[in-house]
Amino acid sequence: MSMSSTPDTTGTTLINHWQRGVPVFREPVVTPRLLFFAALAALGLSLALVRFFSPLGPFSGMNDVYAWGIWKTFNVMTLTALGSGPLAVGMAAWVFNRQKLHVVMRTALVSGFLFYATGLVALGFDVGRAWNFYSVVLPWRWNAESAMLEICICMPLYCAVFLAFENLPLIVERFYYTGTDATKAFLHLCAPTVRRIYPFVIIGAYVLPMMHQSALGGLLLLAGEKIHPLWQTPFLPLLYLLAAVLCGLGFVTFLLLIACLRYLRALDLGVLEELGNLLSIVCFLFLAVRFGDLVWRGQLHSAFALDKWSVLFLIETALILIPAVALRSRAVRETPRTLLNMATLACLGGMFYRFIPTTIAFTPARNASYFPALPEVLMTVGYIALGIVTFGLAVKYFAVLPGEIGEWNYMFRLVRGRRAAARPEGETQWPASL
Amino acid sequence: MSAAITRRQALKGIVGVGGTVIGALATSAGADEHPAHPVAPPDAVSMLYDNTICTGCKACMVACSEANDLPPDTALSGGLWHMPLDLNSKTKNIIKLYEEPDGTDFAYVKRQCMHCLDPACVTGCPFGALKKSRFGAVTWNGSLCIGCRYCEVACPFDVPKFEWDHWNPKIVKCEFCFDQRLEQNQQPACTGVCPTGAVIFGKRMDLLAKAKERIAASPNKYFEQRVYGEHEAGGTQVLYLSCVAFEKIGLPKLGSTSLGHYATKVTSVIYKWFSGPILVAGLLGVAIKRNWDRHEAERPEVEKQTGLPEQL
Repeated sequence: MSMSSTPDTTGTTLINHWQRGVPVFREPVVTPRLLFFAALAALGLSLALVRFFSPLGPFSGMNDVYAWGIWKTFNVMTLTALGSGPLAVGMAAWVFNRQKLHVVMRTALVSGFLFYATGLVALGFDVGRAWNFYSVVLPWRWNAESAMLEICICMPLYCAVFLAFENLPLIVERFYYTGTDATKAFLHLCAPTVRRIYPFVIIGAYVLPMMHQSALGGLLLLAGEKIHPLWQTPFLPLLYLLAAVLCGLGFVTFLLLIACLRYLRALDLGVLEELGNLLSIVCFLFLAVRFGDLVWRGQLHSAFALDKWSVLFLIETALILIPAVALRSRAVRETPRTLLNMATLACLGGMFYRFIPTTIAFTPARNASYFPALPEVLMTVGYIALGIVTFGLAVKYFAVLPGEIGEWNYMFRLVRGRRAAARPEGETQWPASL
Repeated sequence: MSAAITRRQALKGIVGVGGTVIGALATSAGADEHPAHPVAPPDAVSMLYDNTICTGCKACMVACSEANDLPPDTALSGGLWHMPLDLNSKTKNIIKLYEEPDGTDFAYVKRQCMHCLDPACVTGCPFGALKKSRFGAVTWNGSLCIGCRYCEVACPFDVPKFEWDHWNPKIVKCEFCFDQRLEQNQQPACTGVCPTGAVIFGKRMDLLAKAKERIAASPNKYFEQRVYGEHEAGGTQVLYLSCVAFEKIGLPKLGSTSLGHYATKVTSVIYKWFSGPILVAGLLGVAIKRNWDRHEAERPEVEKQTGLPEQL
């Protein structure tokens, strides 16, 4: 909404370009690229379906030592960090009152929902005895001290109830503009209720991911000495949560820049600059806890031992330190190219941190190794492609990407002109790409 | 816009949460379900394996497969007989041979579940499929298991195995012959069949004392004059005596703190009575209410300016 975005300072370099979500309506819905990703998604999901009726062995490179493969360690442990935009941006907007950021919430919410949903699909085909999952609604079976239980309950609940509810307004909005009079009357009736419960829902929408994003790190505590001491620490839950916030902010910045370039949307550097600033702060916070922990455990020497693990650690740290420092400069934050580069580095650094202890630095003293098998990779790619396809459709069907009010008004004028014969004069209509 | 208060207040709130958590940590350090060094209950049963006595006859492996109805692992023997390389989904118990690289010395080792006093697998198992049963046996219940394989990730001894080649996969591990024999007041198949007494069955406290007596009687026989399993990962119910270093026969060097204690010492405080999440929700609620009310108060004006309904 307009009050929450950058004040209009036309005449200076800052122009308030992001005022509300506007659907992408200037191009066809189905493009060759969309079909390509749809094909990848179809392949991955078909394999997943076959996998459900087949043992896990032939579908993966997992073994009894590396019992968790990329479906868990990448699709869930790593990619839901990128999907933590709704937590990070939402907290900034609603808790820390960064009002500018309201306008990019929908981009965060849709991408976050897709990361979580595809991660949960990945989990569904990863577990060996999925039919026993109904225990999740039988509290007397819960092992309350298990981080895995926390994730089993909290992640599906967050995605299916809280994220879904937060995404509801943009779907309802479409029905409002395309529906019959009866639909509109009904939505008018519902709107106050949604608004009444919305602030309560978002409390849960921030508490729940704090719980399960830290529990993902908590999972690794039980692996104990199997994980290299540079990563195994009692601070894993806190660091996993901080990495989620870091990746969430970084990915929303990255996605906004990429999507606006792709769909030729003007950028609102005031909003982007704010995201870059917060990203830098979170990067520094993460590094402070990371190094504080190493000093506290007396492991600082292994960070600079320049062996394999130390190099891995230094790469991971550099990927976070570079954007942290660079983004302190306003010029870097306000230049789309450098902001994109820095957001990408931060995302990679956060992803490295989330992935390394699950697989690379997971080194039980056994002769075993893990490399994902081809079907395993194709399924992982398929889940990601499914997310990309859905996002590509969502920006065209719903008002997800931020744009100008002028663009919104133009969209309706365009449609009215084109459908003048079929539509009564004066009625607003949703975009032409539908 | 009067935006200045909330950020500072929210920050104060976070400091408040941190302080509370640290305070709670400091005060509740005593009573917890996962003591760092758990004490074996008096009914805890045990096996003591002494590789100075073992002749490597593998009678225990046959008895184990028979008692547990396990199919033979014939991959290496050309389909002829049970010949596993290690514990696997067809092998709950195995005798392995360690040889010094220069061939001067060798030692057997019997591997099976260690039946930890505070097992990491049980702490991690989300729906209690793995549990510490009577006599301290760690047992698996297939109707509760979702196949997440967290037990395999958690176990410091690499014991639980997963049936990768079954569409209805089970977690396979030694359960101390709990259903078949322990509950019928019989000792496990492996200890029952051992012809030399290399692996014996008894109460943990008795066997621990016996093991220490053996070390005291002939200290030079044993490489490290200690009992493996007395303290490892908080203590296990399977105890080992060895003529070579424990690490050489595949028993990992572990600290004496139980993994369950390490993994839950902070979270058990934060989640006690669900107080941590409730506290955070309360603090967030205060900040969100303030910002939401301001947002709603400004909404009509903005909607009038733009002529468009506000987007959530």
